[in-house]
Amino acid sequence: MTGSVRLLLARGAVLALALGLWFAPVPEGLVLAAWHLFALFVGAIVAVVIGAFPILTSSVLALAAAVLSGTLAPSKAYSGFANGTILLIVVAFLVARAVVKCGLGERLGHLVVSAFGRSTLGLGYSVFLVDGVIAPAFPSNTARAGVLYPLVLSVAEAAGARPGVEGRRRLGSFLMFSGIASLTVSSALWFTAMAANPLGAEIARGYGLEIGFGSWLVASSIPTLSAMALLPFVLYKVVAPEVTATPEAPRAARQALAALGPLRTQEKVVAATFLGMVGLWASAATLGLDSTAIAFLGLGVLLAAGVLTLGDIAKEGDVLATFIWFAVLFTLSGQLNELGFMGYLGERLAGALGGLSAAVAGVVLVVAYVLLHYLFVSQTAHLLALFGVFLDVGVKLGVPVALLAFLLLFATNFFSANTPQGSSANLLFAGSGYLSQGELYRLGGLTTAFNLVLYLVVGIPWLVLVTR
Amino acid sequence: MSHRAALVAGSLALALTGLTPAAARQEPGAAAGWRPFEATWSATGRRLVVAIEGGSVAAIVEISGAVVITSGEGLGRGFRGEAIGFDDGQGLGVGRAVWTDENDDRIFSRLKGEPLQTGKGLVGTITGGTGRYAGLEGEYAFTWQYVVPAEDGVIQGRSVGLKGRVRRAGPSQ
Repeated sequence: MTGSVRLLLARGAVLALALGLWFAPVPEGLVLAAWHLFALFVGAIVAVVIGAFPILTSSVLALAAAVLSGTLAPSKAYSGFANGTILLIVVAFLVARAVVKCGLGERLGHLVVSAFGRSTLGLGYSVFLVDGVIAPAFPSNTARAGVLYPLVLSVAEAAGARPGVEGRRRLGSFLMFSGIASLTVSSALWFTAMAANPLGAEIARGYGLEIGFGSWLVASSIPTLSAMALLPFVLYKVVAPEVTATPEAPRAARQALAALGPLRTQEKVVAATFLGMVGLWASAATLGLDSTAIAFLGLGVLLAAGVLTLGDIAKEGDVLATFIWFAVLFTLSGQLNELGFMGYLGERLAGALGGLSAAVAGVVLVVAYVLLHYLFVSQTAHLLALFGVFLDVGVKLGVPVALLAFLLLFATNFFSANTPQGSSANLLFAGSGYLSQGELYRLGGLTTAFNLVLYLVVGIPWLVLVTR
Repeated sequence: MSHRAALVAGSLALALTGLTPAAARQEPGAAAGWRPFEATWSATGRRLVVAIEGGSVAAIVEISGAVVITSGEGLGRGFRGEAIGFDDGQGLGVGRAVWTDENDDRIFSRLKGEPLQTGKGLVGTITGGTGRYAGLEGEYAFTWQYVVPAEDGVIQGRSVGLKGRVRRAGPSQ
């Protein structure tokens, strides 16, 4: 079968699936618009997964169909384009470009390689280490991705990996996906490392469970540190980078650093701006500052200083594509929630568990909660829509509240890797060019499955011990 | 305050303010034609606030989500539940709600009670409907199990234990 025939068949299958769902009887209790939007959303995601369309194409086709069919009002359909978090990603992409362009990225990359570069696996662990250390200061994991991405990009380039260039392409893929995987577990490790964590704690308080920084850390420590120790190795084995051992790399990196000489003026400007942004992001919650505005400030300074030019911005076509497809999927998923689809699905699924034993019900709830993230484009939206529903059902079936609450809250962090759109924090790495859409879904599914098993196997005994 | 304590307190507050619906005062089905039902209501939406005297805020709230019928007859299995309301900042919340089913048939109700906050309650008076719900009357009461504010004025709430009763209005009833 030729490639073009296979492509036509894939597109036909997606069209048949979307039309089949569209014209299927609307389940009792759902409105027509919710069902039609579900058909479009599923069609868009399946199209990407089976390679029928790139994610940008499938997203804009779904959006156009939603508006032209009257399923969504235009004002609702385009609301994602004004979302602050999505704008933050766009600006973070541009700031990362400045870090690379001025040469600071190369310097950072050589620094990391000189410390951890004896092996590719060591570089992967360095990503997890850096992220894990800075995470508690960043309530926005998207902002943290804005810090981590330039570093990972610089390390990948310093290690000789380039998007689309064979030889060390998989090395770049490994490092980029390590960034995504790291964010999922660093957010689970610290109470303050993801915006949805305190929201979940607030909902859990209604069940008499008080969660604070310390109790979260105790509960998350063993399963999450286990994940941090094992995940780089698992990804390393799965991605199989072309280069594994580089015993000469640290010395070469030190020589390269010496050759670079002292910081140049533009590097100093970028370093000062970047450090300023990091400081403001870290204190954003305390000072009541908006993370996106901080990113805009940094971008403005870089433009005013001439480090970035309008010509540089014009070259970043991938950023525009990412902005469009993510804003579209964010909107479609959010509207599914507003139209009652998510709540309906969650209540019905959870309600169907009546009669199960507490142990089985607890595991089924966590697994179902994780799988449902394929329909969400925001961790916070997922938590707000389903965490309370699943916790309530589990508690009524006899699952200990602390055990279930922590498992669901940790899942809210680690399920974000399952798709490239599963978290806005993924987008910088997903848009780096080092990972194809197929790789993102495959590695995302694998990482999420690994974390799910690990948090169930290691997390349950640990949580039983520390929450009794 | 625990979840159960919040529910008890909310119910007590409603009773004391005279807002407890007849459905909660009578045994279900005590009057001819009444059909009791129970449901959950999970919704997301936005709250627009303005600061008023005494450090309070008045708010306009718009929410939308799923009403899932967990027991009872005559109402189908669920609805899309939309509501718009006003909180005067002095403890009074009023609004209107529309529940829409898979056939686009609707139930209209008037809401009155407390502001949209965790542990606070509202009473709905069903004022009619369309399609299979034309001529429906009834009432329901519920307490918000939680209302959580997220970014950009977005809120998410969930009510469990929504209880009410409906009947077809008519000269014989």
